[in-house]
Formats: sequence, C-alpha cells, structure tokens
Amino acid sequence: MNETKEITRIEAFFLPAGMSFETTTSTRILTSEGPVELLIPVLDGEKLKMIIANLSRNRSDYLSTLSTSEIIERIAVASEKWLNPSYPQRVLAEQLLPALTGYAADSIRLQLKRYMRTFRRKELLRFIGEEFDDPLVLDEFRPRKSGGFSRAYGPKLLFQVFSGNVPGVSLWSMTMGLLLRSAQLGKTSMAEPLMAVWFAQSLAEVDAKLADSIAILPWKGGSEELEREAIRQADTVTVYGGRLAVESVRAKVPIEKKFVAYGPKASFAMIGKEALTPDRMNVTISRLAADVAHYDQQSCMSPQCVYIEDGGSIDAQGFAALIAAELGRLQLRWPRASLADQEAYAILEVRNRYWLEEAAGEGSAVYASTKDAQWTVVYHNTPRFEGSPLNRTLHVYRCRRVEDVIPMLEPAGQAGLLQTCGAAIGPHRMFALAEALGNIGVNRFCHIGSMLQAKAGWHHDGRFNLMDLIRFTDIERTMEDELEQYDPDFE
Amino acid sequence: MLLKTKTALVTGASRGIGAEIAAALALHGASVVVGYHTRKDAAERTVERVREAGGRAFAYQADVRSMDEVTVMVEEVVNRYGSIDIVVNNALSPYSFNPAQRRTVWEHNWEDYQEQLDGSLGGAFHVCKAAMPHLQKQGSGRIINVVTNLIDFPVVPYHDYTTAKSALLGFTRNMAAELGRFNITVNALAPGLTQGTDSSRETREDVRRDIVRLTPMQRLAVPQDIANAAVLLASDLSGFITGQCLRVDGGLVMGS
Repeated sequence: MNETKEITRIEAFFLPAGMSFETTTSTRILTSEGPVELLIPVLDGEKLKMIIANLSRNRSDYLSTLSTSEIIERIAVASEKWLNPSYPQRVLAEQLLPALTGYAADSIRLQLKRYMRTFRRKELLRFIGEEFDDPLVLDEFRPRKSGGFSRAYGPKLLFQVFSGNVPGVSLWSMTMGLLLRSAQLGKTSMAEPLMAVWFAQSLAEVDAKLADSIAILPWKGGSEELEREAIRQADTVTVYGGRLAVESVRAKVPIEKKFVAYGPKASFAMIGKEALTPDRMNVTISRLAADVAHYDQQSCMSPQCVYIEDGGSIDAQGFAALIAAELGRLQLRWPRASLADQEAYAILEVRNRYWLEEAAGEGSAVYASTKDAQWTVVYHNTPRFEGSPLNRTLHVYRCRRVEDVIPMLEPAGQAGLLQTCGAAIGPHRMFALAEALGNIGVNRFCHIGSMLQAKAGWHHDGRFNLMDLIRFTDIERTMEDELEQYDPDFE
Repeated sequence: MLLKTKTALVTGASRGIGAEIAAALALHGASVVVGYHTRKDAAERTVERVREAGGRAFAYQADVRSMDEVTVMVEEVVNRYGSIDIVVNNALSPYSFNPAQRRTVWEHNWEDYQEQLDGSLGGAFHVCKAAMPHLQKQGSGRIINVVTNLIDFPVVPYHDYTTAKSALLGFTRNMAAELGRFNITVNALAPGLTQGTDSSRETREDVRRDIVRLTPMQRLAVPQDIANAAVLLASDLSGFITGQCLRVDGGLVMGS
C-alpha cells in the first residue's frame, strides 16, 4: 500500500502528574491500524533522582494514608475497565501488543481478557487472604495468636525490573506494590513496554493521586547510571527475567536491601493413560497444544516437554504425531511470531540432532513444520529431562508410568528450575504424584489447558508474594502488661 | 493456472470469504471483478492485493438487490473484460452474526426473513439473470452460490440468514437442472464457521470449541479453505459437477 497513513505516537512511559521530559521516538511499529511510534523519555541520573523524589513525596502525602481496603477498591475499579471491549487502553493493547511481541492477535485478545479478570476485587481479597489471616496487619498493629501485636510494613520505594516475554506480568507486581503502599519505579523491557503504562493510566483514571506514586520507564538494560541510582534509592528490588538479567541486577544490590528474583524456570506436562482413552485423547491433545502455543511457549509456565504413559489408546509416538498436527492447525489460528536468526537456529539444531538419531534408528522421531520452523515435536522412546529452545518446540517422552520420571527431573528441581507440572491423570493419583513432585521442587500442579493461567494466591516460584516484600514490627507480648505500671490509675 | 482467460464476478468481495475467493480466482489466472456495496476502501485493498500478485482486477460498486444496478454492473464486466465466465454470489444483506444477541424464532418478524431473502436470494437472482444471456451464448459458464453448512446443521440458529441461504440452495439446484444443457454448471458452496470473517467475530470460545470438537479435521475453516473450493468449482475440472452443495467445513457435516 502506498497510502501514507498518519503515524500514531504513543507514550511508552508513565510519570507522576506535572512531570514532563524530552522524548525520542522508537522505531516504527506496523500495526493493523497503521504505523505507530513509541515515545521514550530521555533520562539521566539527575532526572531519575527528581522522579524518585516526586514518587516518594506523593507516597507519603497520599498513598500511605489510604487503607488496604481503599487501595483494593481502586485497583479493582481500574481493572474492571479492562473488561469492557471498548475501553481505549484495551483497544490499544489488542492492536499494539501483537505488533510489538509478535504473538498472534487472537491469542493476545483471548489471554488478555482472561488475565484482567484475575484483578477483580474478590481475587485481590483472596490474594491477600492467602498470606495474611488478618489482612488488617497491613494497616495497623494487630493482635497475634501468640500474644503481643504485629504490623507489616512494605517497601518505601520498590524498584521493579520487568521482562517482556509475557505481556501483563508486571501488573501483579504493580498491584503488590500498591497493596503495600510502596512508591514504585518500574523499568520495562522494550520488548513489551506498554501494559504497565496502560495499567498506571487506568489507575490514574480512578485516582490520580494514587497513580502519582508510580513511575513506569523504559531504558536500555545495562544503563549503569540509571540502574545504580534506582537501586541506591530503593529499599527493595524485584527482577523478572532470565539468568543474565537476574544476575546483572543482583550484583548491584547491596546485601542490606531486599532482593526478590523471578528467574528462569521450566515447566512440563504429564499425561496418564486415563486421559488417553478414545473419548478423551483428542481433548487432551488440544488442551496441551494450547498451553504450548500461547505466548509461543515463552512463559515460565509453558510446557517444554511432556511425558506420555503406556497403556492408552494412543501410544507416545502417536501422541507426538497428533499434537504435531494440532500445532499445525494452531499455526492457522494463532500464527507463531517470526523469529530472530538465533532463535530459529536453536530450533533447527534440535531438529537436526534428532533427525540424525531417527535415521540411526535410535528411538527418536521428529515431526516438523515445513516453513519457518513454526512448530516442532520430537518424540523420544525413553524419557529424560531436556529443556526446549521454546517457540513451539515440544519434546514428547514415552514412559511406562509418569511417576517413573520423577528421578530424572530431580536434578533440574534441585537447581531450582522446575515450576509447573500440568497433568491429566486419574483423580486417585493426584495426591501421590503431587507429593512426589513437591519433593523435587515443583511448585505448581495443575490441569493441562490451564498451565498458563495461575490462580490468584498461588505461590509464585514456590514462595510468598506479599510476604517476600514486607517486614514486621512486633510489640512483644509482655510489653503491654509491663507498661500498665506507668499508668498512675493502674493498681 | 486453472482459470486462464476466464473472467469472474464475485459479489460481496470487499472482505472475508468473498475477498479470498476473488484473490484465489485471480491467482489462477482469472480476471476478477470485486463487487462491493459500501466498503470501497476494503474492495480497493482486495484489488490491490490481486494486482500485487500479478493478477487483473477492478472493484465495482452495486447493490445486488437492485436489478438495474446489477444489469449495469454485468454490462461493465463484459465491456471491460470481454466476457463473463464465472459468477460467485457471495453478497447478502448486512447481517450481524452474534450468538449472544441473535433473535430467537419467536422474536422474528417476516420482514427480517424478507430482508435476508432480498439479499442472498434476490441478489443471486439478479446477478444470474443479468449474466445468463452471456453464459448461454458462450455455451459455458460457472455459477457458484455461497450458502452455509448451517443449512444442514444449524449449530447456531440464525433463522433469517439460514432460511434465505436454504432458498438459495433450492434456487441453485433448479437452475442447475435447467442450465445444464447449456454447459453451465451451478453449484452451492457451503462454508463452515470461518475464522477471520464478520460471521465468526462474535463467536465465543465455547461455541468454537464445540464446533472444533465435532469437526473431523479438528479446526475451523480459514478463508483460504473456502477459496480453494471455489477455484475447483470455477475450473474445468468440475465440468461434470452441477447442482451440488459442496460443504467446506472439515467434515462437520456429511451426506446429503
């Protein structure tokens, strides 16, 4: 098309009211509605200092005066806006996120609406209730079962480093920061810098002064001056990312500051023979394929491999063939993002390795798309654990029983790499398998088809959520009795 | 290039299945007229797409519900391209496919049915009437009427829409019976729910999943699937196929 469409410019940052900075524009993004450029603020250490000073002042003037209940209300109202298909930020998200991330537009649309439902008031209450028997402990000193009183305090300034692989993960972090009445500085990844900005805008629409304690900024990873300033001022730092990102930030955070990392994780699936009966096998396969396809397997909860038990109507190799066909169909519905050379080579390398094995009769079989390495399924007739290069590359392992595989997963579990196991098994096996998986470090056990939708209150990476970010102050049990003596009326 | 030297008129071709059919016919060598009613911008994009792929096309605005407008349109096609060989009746009166907001049968009035009949059946009638003399003189022709597999299996009962399409199927068979002796084949093309079109936009995951589960090929149609079938019916390969209803729905519906 030679028609020159007007370029839309979108702010890829959020600042407290009254602050404005010089901006530059990012490279042009081509969307279904025309070209878009992102506005990125030009920053240096001094400017960041000013922003942080503003955030902190706004926090102490306003955010810190709100009760937890008032904050929940505001977050809920802000997120409810996203349940309206015509909400401007949602429309923008559906238009821009596919272009930015490369993920299929229909997949983004579906996942986004599912995700935003997890911020409704009832879910926020569940989230808090999960970790605090008495949620008021976030607001005031509350009596403890063991006597005395305690109160929880959140960070004064939270510096969050977000990743860009799954749009919207930053929103939970932002929510936690708000619930803890922290000023927050969120550094976004240029791979997906917008969801956090839009959420901050939604919050501002509900309560501008609340949103004034939030700043969302993109800057190139490794900008020493900015990172050091942010870390220097923050009392708590959280990082989402791969090993390199996490280690590079960790190295800069002094020991006395709280550092919380959500680092690299791998997930997998297990299919028992009960899920491979003639009437169940097709839906089992389509559920698992959806877990593989959304976000092109880039989520820490996406299955990288699946263990298929003997004894079903379809054997593991048949399963591999069928799930390959399903991934081929999903390519039509939710096309995979186009890959950088490096990512494509990683997949081709895996294919080549196993094609050779297949040719040598060593018990592998490769099912591969013909174009652009769009999807790959590798069947192995003996089980082990091997991560996948992602982007819809799935290892399918045959095993006698899924329980047999646990020892092979143990090393990865011990290294803290395992996160979610999605399974389809008979209900009588659930607890025993959960026990075995828990033992080796898996922290989430769920049904296939739901692997990418963790429920509110889950132990992210096996840890606490809000609890990891707070500190307590205790009024010791005996103090109140002892202090009575200083009241002249006491006898 | 199955359709070299052929001229095709596709109504309702500004977007969705119609646009894909137009593009596919052009890819196989036909000169294509992209008929549209209101979406000029979209129709021009379809034309652009054909031209960029090295094909021949132009867009033409007409309301297929008007005999006069259709007569003029068919004249123009024959003037510009010298003949008319293939007619694809895909246009219909504007319709909102929304399972959550459709009218139940007890909420319908006759006017709703009439409106759809005027579009789907009336439109096809007008176009066929205008094109028929040319096809008869030529001693060959292909008429393809786009219906829907909802006729056989109304998984979502769009009463007015599907009733009109049923009438279009009856129209197809009777025309086939009469025009066969002129070497004109008349067939119906029955797509299943097709992703990426106006007709599937409001269909939620639960309905999609139900349909996919019952579909042997385990997915919904994409416009390309329908277009491929249209190419078959437009080509000489289907020269002895007439009066048929070709369902393109991955096997959801089988048999007569």
